[in-house]
This record gives sequence, structure tokens and C-alpha cells, in this order.
Amino acid sequence: MANWVPLWLHRLGSPPVFYRFAGAVRPWALGLALALGAVALYAGLFVAPADYQQGDAYRIIFIHVPSAWMSLFIYGAMTLAAFVGLVWRIKIAEVVAMESAPVGAAFTFITLATGSLWGKPMWGTWWTWDARLTSELVLLFIYLGIVGLYHSFEDRRQGARAACFLVLVGAVNVPIVHFSVNWWNTLHQGSTVRLVGPSHIEASMLWPLLTMMAATKLYYIASLFARVRADLIASEGGKAWVRELLTREEGAA
Amino acid sequence: MSSLPSPSILLEARALGFSRQDERVFGPVDFDLRAGDIALVEGDNGSGKTTLMRVLTGMLRAGEGDVLFAGQPFSLTTMGGAIVFLGHHLGLKSDLTARENLDVSAGLYGVRDGTSPMEALRVVGLGGFEDEPVRRLSAGQKKRAALARLLLLPARVWLLDEPYANLDREGIALVNQLLDGHAARGGAALVTSHGAVSFAGGEPRRIRLHA
Amino acid sequence: MIPGSTASACAAVLQRDLTLAWRRRGDIAMPVLYALIVTTLFPFAVGPEPALLARIAGGVVFVTVLLAVLLSLDQLFRADIEDGSMEQLMLAPQPLALLVGMKVLAHWITSALPLIVVAPLLASMLRLPAAAMPALLLALAIATPLLSLLGAVLVALTAGSRRSGMLLALMLLPLCVPVVIFAAGAVAAAQEGLPWLAPIAWLGAGLVMAVVLAPLASAAALRIAMES
Repeated sequence: MANWVPLWLHRLGSPPVFYRFAGAVRPWALGLALALGAVALYAGLFVAPADYQQGDAYRIIFIHVPSAWMSLFIYGAMTLAAFVGLVWRIKIAEVVAMESAPVGAAFTFITLATGSLWGKPMWGTWWTWDARLTSELVLLFIYLGIVGLYHSFEDRRQGARAACFLVLVGAVNVPIVHFSVNWWNTLHQGSTVRLVGPSHIEASMLWPLLTMMAATKLYYIASLFARVRADLIASEGGKAWVRELLTREEGAA
Repeated sequence: MSSLPSPSILLEARALGFSRQDERVFGPVDFDLRAGDIALVEGDNGSGKTTLMRVLTGMLRAGEGDVLFAGQPFSLTTMGGAIVFLGHHLGLKSDLTARENLDVSAGLYGVRDGTSPMEALRVVGLGGFEDEPVRRLSAGQKKRAALARLLLLPARVWLLDEPYANLDREGIALVNQLLDGHAARGGAALVTSHGAVSFAGGEPRRIRLHA
Repeated sequence: MIPGSTASACAAVLQRDLTLAWRRRGDIAMPVLYALIVTTLFPFAVGPEPALLARIAGGVVFVTVLLAVLLSLDQLFRADIEDGSMEQLMLAPQPLALLVGMKVLAHWITSALPLIVVAPLLASMLRLPAAAMPALLLALAIATPLLSLLGAVLVALTAGSRRSGMLLALMLLPLCVPVVIFAAGAVAAAQEGLPWLAPIAWLGAGLVMAVVLAPLASAAALRIAMES
């Protein structure tokens, strides 16, 4: 591999460079996310045929399933960033991990809310202790714990390091929780209805789902970059590059 | 080992500096501490004396520069016990007696040859208070109990953060006497103080930190 | 024992924490009293019907013990950090993880062991059948050290923060979900006359993992907490 890749990554570790990079990428990611999301939503709600068992109620999977994927995907991305941040003490990685957590928590919450909305017509109840939903609920608590720990420190950097450590602890814990909840669910003979209903999915249902998945990924990037930029401005407030930035913006206004 | 780098240097700081939230707390400073050296770190409040001490103990990671211990890069995991640290918090359990506190330290760090907890307490003037819970001692007596730990433990390097605080004239003389004895045994000590200090044994080395 | 050896250091820390707990033995009674109060409230809340109480007994005992342990965890490292003892532990020649392990052991002896002792009383107040009692005690004996170890990691993480309390509970919940599931699951299985060793074995596996990893993780977390 050409050696400009590690060099580029190394340069990206510097806050001002990352700030500019994120600022350049963010509008594109957000625009594309909104466009793809609109297409996927239209296709999912109007183009895809109704399910022969669940009728139109199944259409919530076009929100629910991509959110559920994102809730795990973001945890994975966050774990990677936290590990890099802790081991090599790279500030940007710590910030990326910390600013991923609220976005991940939001997607987890959407997963739970849509699952609950879907459960009412299907199971006749808002909440059921289904193994997947329960695991999602525990995941939400993990996310909230990380956000809470980060904000409970006077020193932001120290808070970020402690919370990054908690991210890693959680990463070990998530599979254990999933395994134990599955075991518990079979023990207590809970509902075995699966939220992702059809086992074979039609192409006209699949492509809006995949499009929505791409849209959520792009939205994560856009949201994350906006948050990281705000965090950098706040934590690097006294530094020369931020002051330079401010004077330039004031001059432009 | 053919190339032991001048074994008399115990602790060495090279271009050592520390920043918190990208604001410089102290440094960069250079100094070395040889066997028999007593060095005084001077500086106003907020000049980073305590932070320097915590970096030297290895509890804080130096942002820049190196700390060498006997020529080797210092790390808590390999060099533990070579340093004894006396900080603002004395590290005494108030529910335990002075002697029980020293017993814990002895268990953790070991004991210098020829001393015992009772003997150390006698030297610092706490004879008769050995079995008194630390809670009931005065501030000065607590400080003396913590100083007894210096005498008891075998570490060659002492890092003392404001050892003169809370002490009366006699207590200050006691600290100086302990430092002299330690230097005579081939130990080294780094002492911080924000006020003027008169050492018994002549003028000490001075390291200045600027705010 | 040679002073300064690993064995003497472990003994010193263990003895120190046990002596400290003994000097304040009133505090040891607190978690037990708390567990008694919570257990007493349950029959008032759900009704005194023996069949219903027996059905929830195992779960109630585990949740109560969990909360009682949580209550006592918060002080595990805080006092040591405030009076400077933690600095002395960190600078000692022995690995910090080992010394932290000793502190957790002392904490388990002083706060969880009394809870295990009163657990049969709590369980019989809730009409747990005698046949399920061995499963309950065995599950408690494995689950409580596991909780102490997991809790120690999180307490170490919050040690440098301004507040903990509720935050600690929020952080501990995801970690103790599997513990509660397997421990209460073993009791439930025993009550139904099913084999109950499998969940106990899972708990045991978790305990082995935690004994190795949790002290290391706590030590790493404490180093982060002391970086201020």
C-alpha cells in the first residue's frame, strides 16, 4: 500500500485538520442521507407490496431494522475508536468514540420505540420481554452509562478516557448479555415471534431496506462529524487555530 | 552490566514538561538527583510543584521529556517501591493507630535494615502515641506519623511535597534532621516548598519552577 | 513472612481493610438491614399468598442482595483516594491489580458474606421451598463475588468523577443482567425440580474470568482516575 495512507491518517489525528475534513464531508453526507432516506421511505411505504400475513404493519421494518443494525454498528465503531484512543492516546479517537455514543443511543431508542409500536398490532401489547428487544434495552442502558460517565468528570479528557474504558467493558459484555438473555428467554418460554417477520424477503422489499441502511450510515457520519466539530471547538477553545477560525469568520460576517 | 550510566545518578529529568488541557502546567525542566543530594523545588502557588511530584512518581504521564531512574526509563510497574512519596494527603487511615499504619506500609514496601515501626515512631517524637488512633492525633502529629514512614521504608529516593506544612519549629528541625540522615546514608530527596526554608546542613540545590 | 514480599503485601492490605471494617462494624450491619427491610416490604406489596411468594422468592432475594452490595460498593476506593492511601498502594512494589484484588476480597467478606448468612432467613420469609435452598446458597456464593469484582471495575471508573450513586447503578445494570439471570435461573430450576447445575456452571465460568480480568481492569481504571 502506498505510504500516503498512514500519513494521511496521521494528519487526520490533528484537531484542526480533522475539523476542516469533517466540515467538508458533513454537508455531502447529510444531503445524501436525506435524499436516500426519502427514496427508501417512499419505496418502503408506497412501492413495496403489503405483507400477506401482517398487512401494512410490517412496513415499520424499514425504520426498525436499519436502526437496529445501526445500534450495533455504532457500538462497533465506537469500540474501535475507544481502543485506538486509549492505546495510542489519540485525542480525536477519544472524541469520536464519545460523540458516537449519543447517536448510538438515539438509534437504539428508535429501535425500541418502533419495536414497541409494531408490537401493539402484532402481539397486542406495547412491550414484551422478547430476547432481541431485551438485549436492545440493555444496550440502551450501556450507551446511557457511557454518556453519563463522560459528563460526570470535571476534566473532559479524563472523562473521555474513563468512558472509553467503559466502552471496552461494554463490548465484552454485549455478547454475554445477548447469550444470557437468549437462555433466559427459552427458560421462561417467552414469545418466539420474531420481529423481522418474513424469512425470505422479496426484492421489492429488500432494496428500500438496503437504501435506508445506507442512508442511516451516512446520517451517522454527518451527525458524528457535526458533534465532533462542536466538541473540538469547546475543548480546544483557547488554542490558536480556533481563535484564527473565529477571527476569520467574524471578518467574513 | 558493563555500561551502568554513572550509578550515582538516582533520578533524572530530561526536558520534562506537563500540560493539562493543552495548557502548560510546568516545564520543561532538567535536573538530576545523585546519591546524597537534597534538592529543593521552589515556586509560587500554581507553579506546578505538586504536578511535578506526581509526574516523578509515575502516577501522571509526562506530556514531554523523560524521567530516568538509575538510567532506566521509569515506570510504576518495574520500579515500584524505589520511591517513597509524601503528598498533601498523608496516606494514613484515621481509624488505625500510628503503628498499624506503619505496619501496613512495612508490609507493602518492606523495612529498612535495623529499624522497626516502634523505633521510627520514637525518632519522630511519637513515642507513647503508638497505639493512639490517628484520628485523635493533632495535625502536626499526623504529619510526624507520616514522616516515620520515610524512616521505616527502604526506598532511596524521597519525594516530599510540602513536608514543612503544619509543623512547628521543632518539627521543621526534625524534617531537616531526617533529610540529613538520609543524604548521609546515600539517599536522595526532592522537597517542595512555597516558603523560605533553612536547611541545617548548608545550602541545598534549588530547582525553580515558574508559573 | 518477609516484609515487602508479595504475600506480606497482600496480607497487609487484607488485614488493613478488615480491621477498618471491624472498627466501624455498625456499617457492616447496614446492607443486611437494608436487605431485611426490602424483603419485608414484598409481602405487603404483592400479598401474603404463599404460592405467589414462593414463585418470586428466588428473584427477590437476588435483586435485594444485588442492591445491598451496590449500596456498599460506592465507598470501595473513594476513602482511599481521599486520604492518600491509594497513592501509597500505587507506588508499592507489588502489582496494583493484586492489591486491588485483596481490597475486593475484604469488601466481599465484610459486605457480601453477611448477606449470604441471612439469605436463608430472607428466603424462608418469602416461603422458598427448602429443596431450593442449596441452589440459592450456591448461586449466591458464586454470584456475590462476581458482583463485587464487576462493581470494583465500575467504582474505579467513577472514582475520579464528581458524583456517582445513580450513575454507578446505571453502569452496573448491564453488567449484572447475566449474573441475575443465571443465579435466579438456577433457583427457579431447582424449585421446579429441574437440573440446576448448568446455570451455576455458567456463573462459575464468569467468576473465573472475572477473578483474572476484573482486578487488572480495576487497576487500569484507577490509574485513569488518579490522573488528575
